[in-house]
Amino acid sequence: MVLDQQAAGQPSLWTLEMAQFFMVAYYILGGPYAMQMGHHVRMDLIYASLTDRRKAWWDAFTVLALIFYLAVMLWGAIDSTTYSLTYFERSPTAWRPYLWPIKLVMCVGFTLMILQSLSAFFRDIAVIRGETI
Amino acid sequence: MPHDMIALLMFSTMMLLMATGQRVFGVIGFVSVVAALGLWGTGGETLGFSAAMKLMKWYPLLTLPMFVFMGYVMSESRLADDLYRMFHVWFGPVPGGLAIGTILLMVLISAMNGLSVAGMAIGSTIALPELLRRNYSKVMITGVIQAGSSLGILIPPSVVLVLYALIARQPVGQLWLAGIFPGLMMAAMFALYIWIRCKISPEIGPPLSAEERAEITRAEKYRLLWAGALPLVIFAVMMVPFVKGYTSLVESSVIGAVTTLIAAVWKRRMSWVVFETSTRLTLAISCMFMWIILAALSFGAVFDGLGAVKAIEGLFIDKLAMGPWQILIMMQLSYIIMGTFLDDTAMLVIVAPLYVPLVGALGFDLIWYGVLYTITCQIAYMTPPFGYNLFLMRAMAPPEITIFDIYRSIIPFVLVMTFALAIVIIFPQIALWLPQYIYAK
Repeated sequence: MVLDQQAAGQPSLWTLEMAQFFMVAYYILGGPYAMQMGHHVRMDLIYASLTDRRKAWWDAFTVLALIFYLAVMLWGAIDSTTYSLTYFERSPTAWRPYLWPIKLVMCVGFTLMILQSLSAFFRDIAVIRGETI
Repeated sequence: MPHDMIALLMFSTMMLLMATGQRVFGVIGFVSVVAALGLWGTGGETLGFSAAMKLMKWYPLLTLPMFVFMGYVMSESRLADDLYRMFHVWFGPVPGGLAIGTILLMVLISAMNGLSVAGMAIGSTIALPELLRRNYSKVMITGVIQAGSSLGILIPPSVVLVLYALIARQPVGQLWLAGIFPGLMMAAMFALYIWIRCKISPEIGPPLSAEERAEITRAEKYRLLWAGALPLVIFAVMMVPFVKGYTSLVESSVIGAVTTLIAAVWKRRMSWVVFETSTRLTLAISCMFMWIILAALSFGAVFDGLGAVKAIEGLFIDKLAMGPWQILIMMQLSYIIMGTFLDDTAMLVIVAPLYVPLVGALGFDLIWYGVLYTITCQIAYMTPPFGYNLFLMRAMAPPEITIFDIYRSIIPFVLVMTFALAIVIIFPQIALWLPQYIYAK
């Protein structure tokens, strides 16, 4: 890759791949945290001017689209993880690490994200019904 | 259904769903998985996940949390306070001086931060209250902070340029160097605009009073100048080995993050709370960006499957029969228009892969185009109704500043930036001279 060629001293292969695995784990597992803290951006031109109850109404419906997306991602992740586990798939590099651990981490990440979205959904329902959790 | 109709349908559905205010990454992801399942049936479910696996090969994105962390350590440890004070005393006597100082502060912060978030945070916690207290016009100051902090993606280290480098397969080092002069030029243009504006109507940005100036001793002034050296040292420690080729991109970003941490400890500004807050914010912001990129990669993969690159080429060259320059300008315009409705990170990941091959085929320099692209992004980030910077500004500004103040304040700066974009288009050497000079040696 062009970017790596800039390095005169190449780092050893396994550090590079470990870093890649950590990076993906960091991003995938951090997603639910960002969601819990309300950091995921929304286009809030209309949204921001709504009352909390209205927001909850909208969200309760549109979050289903989010859950659908995450469910398809999890589906794909499980397919791929099963494949890796069945054939003991390894990365096609010199170090040849097994790929199932990182894929499993991704499955966990998507599951947590779905749980976080469900939690957002229930919160919205509660707001609509005027209850506080 | 013909492919271009599907593409159009996907885009319009996405826009519509975004208007509901659902999280951007969810909307993009939803549209792409539905399209994938609809187009390719079972088996389409793997598309999204393959995009996620592709992320793993985009190893240079590991720099994102590092650069975000640097920025947050700067803002949370209030290391930037001294910097602000420095510009305050040095530029105080000039009309609009504090606003000009804020722009320069943002240049220094941009040199140690890969996005505009940290600049925005520093601007609104340190500079904004001070500017308001000194009766600077509300209509001016939020624009100053937004325009200034947007330099974060043009002046290295820049995450947007790393992302562009991955898409266009260009070396990051050259792209970063190419961003320096256009960035400084733009900062100078902002400062010039502020100065002229305040010269014409002094009530917008009153200079420091004579009594206040008399209070500052000469020794104090020079002591503060040292504060300004800190970001430059951190920048040099990070950039020099990288440009020389001693360290790789990711290694340099780690060096930058560690150096900033050491600087904060050395200045006795580091505490456990600061560390924890910066780490948590870094995690949240990096992941927010990454999930958008993840979803946008799926969207891009569907577009790829539809043969969108060929379609765009056909549209510009055959149907519209445009020359290379017309195409280039049309592209930049389309970015700005799309950028008002679409999240800009997503736009980079979805649209850039469609345009970059064509730009290359037309014989334009892809390093130069990276700079044009970034400036266009900066503009798009600030144009209402949907600009990420506007969104952040609203969240961070005190309640007396309304959304309309923010919108109004941004207009002149957007014009200045558009002018800067035109200059870089006409004189490519502004961007290309430095990388050519350094890498030719």
